[in-house]
Amino acid sequence: MADVRDILEWDVDVQAEPGSAPSSSVSTGGDSAAQQMRKKDEIIGSHASDKKQRSRKSQEPTFKRPEGMHREVYALLYSDKKDPPPLIPSDTNKGYKQMKAKLGRSKVRPWKRMPFTNPARKDGAVFHHWRRVADEGKDYPFARFNKEVSIPLYTSQEYQLHLHDEKWTKQATDHLFDLCNRFDLRWVVVHDRFDYASYGRRSIEDMKERYYNIINKLAKARADPNLSNRAAQVYDAEHERKRKEQLLRLFNRTQEQVEEEEMLIAELKKIELRKKEREKKTQDLQKLITAADNNAELRRTERKITKKKIQLPQSKSRKELEGSSKQILETGGIKFPDFKQSGVYLRSQKMKLPSSVGQKKTKAIEHLLDELGIPIQPMPTEDICQLYNELRSDMVLLYELKLAHANCEFELQTLRHRYEALAPGKLPSSALSLNQQPPPTAEEDAEATPTLGEEGVDVKMEDSSDDQSSKNKKVSEIIDVVTTSPSTPRKRRTAIEQSNMMKKLKK
Amino acid sequence: MSGGVYGGDEVGALVFDAGSYSTRAGYAGEDSPKAEIPTAVGALENKELESLDIDGLGAPPSIRDGAKKKYIIDVNSLGVPRAGMEMGNPLKDGMVDDWDMFGALLDHIYKRYIQSDSAEHPVLMSEPPWNTRHKREKLTEVMFEKYSIPAFFLCKNAVQTAFANIRSTGLVIDSGATHTTATPVHEGYVLQQGIVKSPLAGDFVTMQCKELFDEMKIEVVPPYLIASKEVVKEGAPANFKRKEVPQVTKSWHSYRVKQVLQDFQITALQVADTPYEPDAADQLPTVLYDFPNGYHQEFAEERVRIPEGLFDISHVKGFEGNTMLGVGHVASTSIGLLDADIRAAMYSNVIVTGGNTLLSGFIDRLQRELQNKAPQNMRLKIIAPSGTTERRFSAWIGGSILASLGTFQQMWISRQEYEEAGKSCVERKCP
Repeated sequence: MADVRDILEWDVDVQAEPGSAPSSSVSTGGDSAAQQMRKKDEIIGSHASDKKQRSRKSQEPTFKRPEGMHREVYALLYSDKKDPPPLIPSDTNKGYKQMKAKLGRSKVRPWKRMPFTNPARKDGAVFHHWRRVADEGKDYPFARFNKEVSIPLYTSQEYQLHLHDEKWTKQATDHLFDLCNRFDLRWVVVHDRFDYASYGRRSIEDMKERYYNIINKLAKARADPNLSNRAAQVYDAEHERKRKEQLLRLFNRTQEQVEEEEMLIAELKKIELRKKEREKKTQDLQKLITAADNNAELRRTERKITKKKIQLPQSKSRKELEGSSKQILETGGIKFPDFKQSGVYLRSQKMKLPSSVGQKKTKAIEHLLDELGIPIQPMPTEDICQLYNELRSDMVLLYELKLAHANCEFELQTLRHRYEALAPGKLPSSALSLNQQPPPTAEEDAEATPTLGEEGVDVKMEDSSDDQSSKNKKVSEIIDVVTTSPSTPRKRRTAIEQSNMMKKLKK
Repeated sequence: MSGGVYGGDEVGALVFDAGSYSTRAGYAGEDSPKAEIPTAVGALENKELESLDIDGLGAPPSIRDGAKKKYIIDVNSLGVPRAGMEMGNPLKDGMVDDWDMFGALLDHIYKRYIQSDSAEHPVLMSEPPWNTRHKREKLTEVMFEKYSIPAFFLCKNAVQTAFANIRSTGLVIDSGATHTTATPVHEGYVLQQGIVKSPLAGDFVTMQCKELFDEMKIEVVPPYLIASKEVVKEGAPANFKRKEVPQVTKSWHSYRVKQVLQDFQITALQVADTPYEPDAADQLPTVLYDFPNGYHQEFAEERVRIPEGLFDISHVKGFEGNTMLGVGHVASTSIGLLDADIRAAMYSNVIVTGGNTLLSGFIDRLQRELQNKAPQNMRLKIIAPSGTTERRFSAWIGGSILASLGTFQQMWISRQEYEEAGKSCVERKCP
């Protein structure tokens, strides 16, 4: 409001405004007189001179703050601009008064010390406690927590008819049921409190077996629905006994036993790890070999195809070739990427080595190319591209095969040394160097395996018979031997196959 | 009753917990006992009938005029040297033995601390788990007949301790003054077959201290004999004046000496983390101990050597080859006696209580010992309240909790039941 008034330079009479009740209440006697003056001015000389306005302004401060009113309070009520306080509440809080927690809305409910009886008690004893007067006469609230396990009872007739048992007298059974009742079927406690002096030593399983048998028999005999619902309780005492025995054995393990078990588990893990490693190695080797195989095979067929079907349209044969070459490249050698992007590209780009080929391999290729007298960047005609790529792929394959061969050779040597160290002079002749031997067949290989295994066992036997006390240590050593021995034949086989391959390649 | 929110319901019950060192008493629902007084009682032949009001406060005299004997009870009265006063203990092996003396103790507690009519308050009393049937019945009879209480309940202190530690199942290891025990508690019931006791406890340590001082030729002079003392150098003989006292009995003198020794125990002793090794023990920081007569000396290796006996008796002189069980053994033996199915629950709830366990390092050592003895992969947890009040009074606190539970109010042996069934009802009502 004030802004509008200021802009228009128009002084509205405060009292004329219906909404500004608070400010109107502020204006007291002296003020209203000044306002009337203003009204007159507005009515008479609407374009009143600045003088008059100034005089009016100078009149305003004459309104004095009433005595006893604090300056701050006065400032709230009366500002120089004569702004009325805001009409709409600016904060949603309903003022400080409402901030108070609503306490004690109702009257204090009195408490009284009063006697009470507990329905959970059978004797009706009276105790005293403090309670709200309003709750007087109500039931004892804790009585509802009094839960009881209902244990069926048998008559002596029923016992005679159905429940006879060789191992249990009637007295012992009665005693058991009494205890079950008293301790709400807490079997551990029942077992603890059982009168062994009069009724003989019994295990928890014996007691449970007896109890559940009786319950089941009673359910059958009485055909009582309440009981037959319980009859689902099947108790396998034998199983429980076995379980407990095992549990005890588990608890009673000695430190050494526990350590041995842990050690064995660790060894097992090691063995498995090695096995995996080995398998991975052989798989890699196998891949290489098959790749080499396929390559050679394909080359042969390829030649035939090209010779026979040279009249076929080139595009088709190329496609075929590409498809087959892709097959090879997946298994070994270099995988040259296909150019599938749109647009024009240089054919020489086809000869670019993909980044997946390592530095060493690149070096090896370059070296070999140099040896063979082939330029590193030949003229990229289509055929040359194709052949050049194939050549390099074969080179990489060859390189990998050589590497694998060297590895196998090295491993064989180390194993042989180890074997000799463990069993000197016993090295079978078949395990001698590979290269001098004619390639052994699968049968020979199979024979070699058990001999090695047997020797491994022999070592173990000797060691274990040596000294019983140092068994643990020996066991680990034996495991070492045993784990490495089965690996040898497999490696050997792959190595042999590989050597065959090499020969083939050389041809 | 404040609604079923926290399950409490006060009926103004009293809780008594008598231990062989001190007896605790107070109202159920409170967090610590109103009274903790020494269980030891002085007995005077009843010749003079003058009433000695030593405790002051206008309380009734703490001396009870018995038919034959006058009993001196409570800390202050016991501190006064009296000619011919013999010290006795109403408890033996944790069980009430001298009913006359025990009655005097109860009288004193009622008059001096409870200050209310005994007929208005039900009583919950603790008992050792091995209490005999005869003693339980006698106690029931005494409480109902002599004090005419409205209701009574006897609870095993191990169960109460477990409750104080918010557990209903666990192995309670209580190392107090006269014995160390391991008591298995299963769902609020003590398993009697698994209780293992050993005499290696606070009094054993006190005895070892006494032997140590005898060996070192240190005379332990209790404060009552000292009129004044001079400051002396470390290790120099004490310079003090003796007080003139009446001719006191030997038992009373040794009672006072024992108090000094117990103080020494509290201040100086420490349980080593690992089994005792003389070399390692020498590395320990020394502790200066001032005797009441002004003599003072530093103790080093002795600090760990003495409490070592609690865990391994074979190192202690005079006990070589002895088969008494150390604390760790007590616990593991007890668990070994139990059913295999509940052993895991016991190992994971080992509750430790008793004043003797406040020796510094006790819990750590126990943890270590049990860890070695527990089967592999067994979860071991030791529960020991850190506050001294909670540790010393845990049985009382458990009783206080129990007796103020709304659901417990059906368990009391009421007066009616006692009158109908006689004292033997305690066997059935309080398992």
